[in-house]
This record gives sequence, structure tokens and C-alpha cells, in this order.
Amino acid sequence: MSFEAKRCGVQFCPPSIVLIYQNMESKKVRKRIIPVRNFSKYSDYGMAAERLKNHPRHGDYLEGVSQSQLEKLLLILRDHMQGFTLEHSLASFRLDPDEDLNKLGDEELARKKGQMDELFEKNRRRKGDAEFVYDLEVDFNKSIQESCLKRYWTKTGV
Amino acid sequence: MADEVGSIPELDLKKYDADEQVKIICLGDSAVGKSKLMERFLMDEFRPQQSSTYALTLYKHTANVGNKTVAVDFWDTAGQERFQNMHPSYYHTAHACIMVFDVQRKITYKNLVNWYKELREYRPEIPCCVVANKIDADLKVTQRSFNFGKKHGLPFYFVSAADGTNVVKMFREMIKRAVDYKQNPSDFMDEVMQELENFDLEKKEDNSAADEDGLKAESPETV
Ligand SMILES: Nc1nc2c(ncn2[C@@H]2O[C@H](COP(=O)(O)OP(=O)(O)O)[C@@H](O)[C@H]2O)c(=O)[nH]1
Ligand SMILES: [Mg+2]
Repeated sequence: MSFEAKRCGVQFCPPSIVLIYQNMESKKVRKRIIPVRNFSKYSDYGMAAERLKNHPRHGDYLEGVSQSQLEKLLLILRDHMQGFTLEHSLASFRLDPDEDLNKLGDEELARKKGQMDELFEKNRRRKGDAEFVYDLEVDFNKSIQESCLKRYWTKTGV
Repeated sequence: MADEVGSIPELDLKKYDADEQVKIICLGDSAVGKSKLMERFLMDEFRPQQSSTYALTLYKHTANVGNKTVAVDFWDTAGQERFQNMHPSYYHTAHACIMVFDVQRKITYKNLVNWYKELREYRPEIPCCVVANKIDADLKVTQRSFNFGKKHGLPFYFVSAADGTNVVKMFREMIKRAVDYKQNPSDFMDEVMQELENFDLEKKEDNSAADEDGLKAESPETV
């Protein structure tokens, strides 16, 4: 059976992941509440996300939700358990094009990657999609300046 | 290969049954998409090996170049970029380098100069390219010119790990260049030197002195 994740969210009480998905056979759109068990304000969000993805009953439903996206939701949940507001969590995900992400610790970096993942998953072409082309090529070098560069590549035997 | 690479015991670095073997490394800031690019190229094939001590990931791949089978070791960082420089064993015996930046974050473009400098300290002559990732986020960036690559005579690719644009093309060309380099390092250098000379002449001709530091992304010029 295959499920397509439409939207995924987090609920604080009781701590759960909320998934809106479509059953690709029946085409029905459904909601699934996945409890997040044994998760406290000290828990490892990465391991918890992995547990969910490998969960015997829920795992299949979460296939279309990336690890980073799940981590992001679990971070919101953990922030809440630590007494932070949702605003605080959302601010921590915000991307600043000038910020040097090399300087961040694992957790802060995971927050940024979780945020980036939304666009990544939205624009992603997966194997099996009708539009998927493994070796998709697009030539962007049309200007005069760029054609100079192209001639250079040809000469180096690339 | 009795060299420094053997000092990373966690990784299985034994040779495979192939005509040729090359090592290709990936450089660039955190979160530019290095791992996603690798995964997009390798698809289901990828079963990376992690070394936690050295904060790196090794992906093995077999390619065909001409009529040869080539075993490719792709080295990706797993957080080591955080320390601003890589362990020397990362560069050791590399045959090509893929340098990645994120078109949405200009700081990652600016930092290319540091990555490139470090690369050249260890590997002065291996083939290298510049990869502008995440173009799916804003296709307009493909009209800009990013001069860092041109300035250093490096091929440049606009790619997207998300929708796959030019990912496979870039990897295949780099594998080929890695093999060419391994088989004929000195000739390759001569050719590059010659190309660079020609390139300088071309550059003088078009008199684009404005681009001093190659950091055009900051005030991108629409062509
Ligand atoms: N929109 C978009 N996002 C991308 C692309 N490639 C990577 N990303 C995002 O950037 C984040 C960091 O990518 P990752 O491969 O982990 O970066 P690395 O630290 O350089 O290995 C990922 O979580 C993705 O969400 C891309 O081509 N397009
Ligand atoms: Mg990575």
C-alpha cells in the first residue's frame, strides 16, 4: 500500500505527530495521529525521529516525510516541553542568507536544515514520479560571456 | 595503497575489482547540499559508510568511463566543515574535487575562496569544479554570473539536488576528469597551465576589471 504525505504537524497534548496523507489506492485523504512516546525535554530529537520512521505501524505512513522535517517537528515539541513559545521555535528555524551555518552546533544546524527541507521536499522529483529524469540536463549558458566559459571547458576536454 | 588513508580504520577502503580507482572529494559550507547531491546521483545505490572520528562519509560507486570500469570513492564531510578546515587525510590522494555553494546564501559563495585555498595547499593541481546548488529555489539565479569559477579556470554548474538538474552530468564529468588526471597528471597540468594563460589573455581583452575578488554574487550582475 502506498501513502502520500500531504501535511505533517505536531500536537503538544498528548505529544503527537499529526499526518494528513492520501491513500494512493483509494485516493482517500485521511488524518493519522502518531503518538510520540518516551519523549521528554531531554530527549534526542534525531533518535526519536529515526524511531518514528522505523516504527512498525507508523513508519510506512511517514515515508514521504523526511528525517529533517520530523526532527524539526520534534524540536518544536521539545522546545515546548522546555517552556519555550512556538514563536521562539519558529524564530530558531528562520534562515538568514548572511548567517554562517558553519558556526552552528548540531542542534541549531538541524533546525536550519529542517526548515530548508520544506522547499527541498516541495521541489523534489522522486524516482517513480512521472516527470522524473535521472540525468536531467539543462543548459543555462546562453549569454556571450558564458559561451566563453563553455569554449574553455571544451578545450580542457571535459 | 599503503598510505595515510589506511589510518581510518572504521572505513572499508579495500580495493575493488575494477580497472581504475579514483577518489573524489566534496567541499563547501554546512548545509549547501553536499550530501543531498551525492544521494541524488547515487539514488538507491548509496550505502554510505560513516567515520565518526573523522566526521566523514564515504560513498562507493562504480562507473563506466569509455570501456573501463572505474571504482569511485566519494568522500563527503559529516560535519567536519564546522571546523573550517578538513583533516589532511580528506585531501590525501584525491583525484578531483567538487566545490559546492548554496545560491540562496551568499556567504557560502564567499567562503569558496577559503575552501579553494585549503584545497590547493594539499592538492595543487587536481581537477576541481564549482557547483551552484538549489537553483530550484529561484531559477533567476541562473542568469547571474558567478565569477569565482571563471577566475580560477574551473568548470561551473547550476544544479539542483531536489529536482535533479545537471546533477548526473556534473558527477559524470568529474569522474571522467578524475580518471584523466590519475592516468596522466602531468599532461593535464600542462594543459591547464596553457588554458589558464589563454584565459588570462581573454580576460584582458574583455577588460572586465570590475571583478577583482570574484565575489560577484553579492551584487549579482544580470547578463
Ligand atoms: N531547495 C533545495 N534545497 C536543498 C537542495 N539540496 C539540499 N537542500 C536542502 O539543504 C539542506 C542541507 O543539505 P545537506 O545535503 O544536508 O547539506 P550538507 O551539509 O552540505 O551535506 C537539506 O536538508 C535540504 O533541505 C536543493 O537542490 N534544493
Ligand atoms: Mg552533509
